[in-house]
Amino acid sequence: MALRRISKELKDLERDPPSTCSAGPVSDDVFHWQATIMGPSDSPYNGGVFFLSIHFPTDYPFKPPKASIISISFTTRIYHPNINSNGSICLDILKDQWSPALTISKVLLSICSMLTDPNPDDPLVPEIAHIYKTDRETYESTAREWTRKFASKLSSL
Amino acid sequence: MESTIPQHPQNEKRSINITIISAEGLYKRTLFLFPDPFVIITVDGEQTCTTKALKKTLTPIWNEEFTISVFPSSVITVQVFDQKKFKKKGQGFLGVINIQVSQHINIYSDAEEIIKQKLRNSNSSDPVEGNLIVKLKSTALPNNIPSSLSNSEQPSAVTNDEALTNVASSSSDPSNNPISSNSISEDLPSGWEQRMDHLGRIYYVDHNSRTTTWKKPTAPAASLQQPRFLPDDETQNTNETSNETSNETNTTTTNTEESSNVLGPLPSGWEQRLTPEGRPYFVNHIARTTTWEDPRLRNIRAPDGSRAAFVAGIAGQTANYLGPLPSGWEMRLTGAGRVYFVDHNTKTTTWDDPRLPSNLDQSVPQYKRDFRRKYVYFRSQLPMRPIAGQCHLKVRRESIMEDSYSQIMSLPPFELKKRLMIKFDGEDGLDYGGVSRDYFYMLSHEMFNPEYCLFEYSAHDTYTLQISPNSSVNPEHLKYFKFIGKAMGLAIFHRRFLDGFFTSSFYKMILRKPITLDDMQSVDDEIYRSMVWALQNDVTDMEFRFTVDELKFGQVVEIELKPGGKDIEVTEENKKEWVQLNVQYRICDRIKDQFSAFLSGFYELVPQDMIQVFDERELELLIGGLSETDIDDWKKHTDYRGYTETDQVIQWFWQCVNDMDSERRSRLLQFTTGTSRIPVNGFKDLQGSDGPRRFTIEKAGDINSLPKSHTCFNRIDLPPYNDYQTLSYKLTLAIENTVGFGQE
Repeated sequence: MALRRISKELKDLERDPPSTCSAGPVSDDVFHWQATIMGPSDSPYNGGVFFLSIHFPTDYPFKPPKASIISISFTTRIYHPNINSNGSICLDILKDQWSPALTISKVLLSICSMLTDPNPDDPLVPEIAHIYKTDRETYESTAREWTRKFASKLSSL
Repeated sequence: MESTIPQHPQNEKRSINITIISAEGLYKRTLFLFPDPFVIITVDGEQTCTTKALKKTLTPIWNEEFTISVFPSSVITVQVFDQKKFKKKGQGFLGVINIQVSQHINIYSDAEEIIKQKLRNSNSSDPVEGNLIVKLKSTALPNNIPSSLSNSEQPSAVTNDEALTNVASSSSDPSNNPISSNSISEDLPSGWEQRMDHLGRIYYVDHNSRTTTWKKPTAPAASLQQPRFLPDDETQNTNETSNETSNETNTTTTNTEESSNVLGPLPSGWEQRLTPEGRPYFVNHIARTTTWEDPRLRNIRAPDGSRAAFVAGIAGQTANYLGPLPSGWEMRLTGAGRVYFVDHNTKTTTWDDPRLPSNLDQSVPQYKRDFRRKYVYFRSQLPMRPIAGQCHLKVRRESIMEDSYSQIMSLPPFELKKRLMIKFDGEDGLDYGGVSRDYFYMLSHEMFNPEYCLFEYSAHDTYTLQISPNSSVNPEHLKYFKFIGKAMGLAIFHRRFLDGFFTSSFYKMILRKPITLDDMQSVDDEIYRSMVWALQNDVTDMEFRFTVDELKFGQVVEIELKPGGKDIEVTEENKKEWVQLNVQYRICDRIKDQFSAFLSGFYELVPQDMIQVFDERELELLIGGLSETDIDDWKKHTDYRGYTETDQVIQWFWQCVNDMDSERRSRLLQFTTGTSRIPVNGFKDLQGSDGPRRFTIEKAGDINSLPKSHTCFNRIDLPPYNDYQTLSYKLTLAIENTVGFGQE
């Protein structure tokens, strides 16, 4: 059932690709995908390209997919209250708010919107959440700086 | 058979009564089986009477009486045989005694003697042990009774009295004896009771006048207690012929009455009554039941398990197995027949048996009280009672799993139910409880270790265990599951805890309860939520099918939940069925083989109907004990030796316990008591090798040495350290580095 469902999602993505992201299997293993997200223009991540690794569980879609930011260097360099240095993403729909009606496409769009609107009340990195809440300017400049340094095509490759 | 003494025709023969009372300490000829002993009486090698066989005992109490005719010079040969062997090969000889009549009684006068003789060997070389107790009784009669066995002329039992039935019932096959000898005639007037003093003399108590007498009161039939009606197919038949035998009855009944006292008083709550025909029966006022069978004999025979022995109420029955009450306590019955206990020390009464683990605390929540009552019931049941003897297991710590496997799997349940004596190779700790607790703790870590792929953590968390559906990576996995089941049963049987917690469905499956969607929650919360979502939302066009995907050794396999499931789409109409099948498959079906192997081992020691008195929550407590440590409860139930609670060192000790994380606290408990588990009722029920033992801190040892423990007695030897840092350091060092037993 998982195979059928994943294939269907892949077909839907190819037919109607979202404007800010893309996704597809890494190799012939359809349970392992890679996705890219463009930093939203209305966020300090504008101009960055973020790579995600997506693993579908055997029980997909009855269990949520596992998505995390992957990096080119050793540590993921994205300055965000809900994403830690391992690339783990703290997003409710990837955990207890998952439902079988959700898709990878919807997950990626949710991550995009999280980049624009962090959730500092449920932080994975409390220090960044604190700065986000108390000193928005420092947060934005650091996020922009890290995006330029670690996630833009010019610098990374 | 044995005797070759010739008859002496110059004397007259007389009828005397011989009562085969009991034997003690019979020789156990086979390792695993107790004999079914019965007795053959022979007089001068010709008259033969036989008792019935009692099941599986080395201390049989037959208490059967026979009439034989003897000369003063006659020799009565009394032989004991094991019926099982006897039937097969005519063997099974357990010993013989020869009684020369004139050495004991004058058969022409009123005489009576109880004879206790050591059983001897005849001519075989088989060892013989034990004593036989018989009674001879003669009566001076004006008229001689014909000199032959009464039973040889009366092949069928025709009498109005149970006692006479015994006289007449000496068929050659002891198992054919139609009426057991255990009922006791007691035709005393109402309000009278027959008792035996410490010298074994019979006396009579008149409860009406509160007097006692040596003389037996006469018992007119009219004064008998109003008997209850009992359907009895034998009585009709006996009534018709009762008159014919009434003469003989008079002489024999008296004797039987006296022999009844060998058994002592009836258990509390029991009463003996007579049917209108004079046949005794027994009333259990606790359970409000009646039976033909003497409860005193039933307890003796209990080990054979042939009778579902405990029909009666729990309270009255369990009392028999708990041993004597503490000094100053007394058990009584209310008017309604309910058992209560009187503590004469404090002049209080309670419903709760003081021999049970703890007195009922008003603070104990109801579910725990229920559990305790069930627990007491459970422990009192025959299959859960230890068998006499010892069961020795010797294991190496480094290969505890393999060593345990080979020994536990090779021993039958009968052996494993004996007192468990665990010995770790190379350690001289003696198992008074502490070693076996440590053993089960260690063994459970091995058995349930997810690295062995037999068990895995549930997706729910990282500590509740479930059977791994992929356990077949180990081709021997089913044998191991049977072993684990047996080991778990063994731990329950011997009141040891296992260090493992399982999903609620695992416990429910042991109890054979149906699995529901709610059980999914403790197995896999994500699946549970998706199932709930599916039930609450429209699943049309979701393209769900009646299949489950499963990862088998790296390959995703699609398993159909019902035939053709791959092509059956889940709809609003069939989604309930789909959820049920999903749950059933994910929890039960995919580990079906493993679980039935596990259960077959488990039920060997704890039968299904026994364990089913508990619910799944209680079963978890039964297997694992409590997981959290309540420090206040711990402190409250700690004893001090050489210290008082207010001593500085003791205050540092508790401060140190307070500062510990739960894992280290468990280790401290394990260090002191052998397990990190706490009894269900908390620290007050902590058990030592010899019964309840509270946690004890003793002032002992040099301040430079580490604390020491005595796990058999739940005691820690704590040197009087000079400061908190030293205490904390030494205590931590001791508990974190101790594995193994020195002297206990």
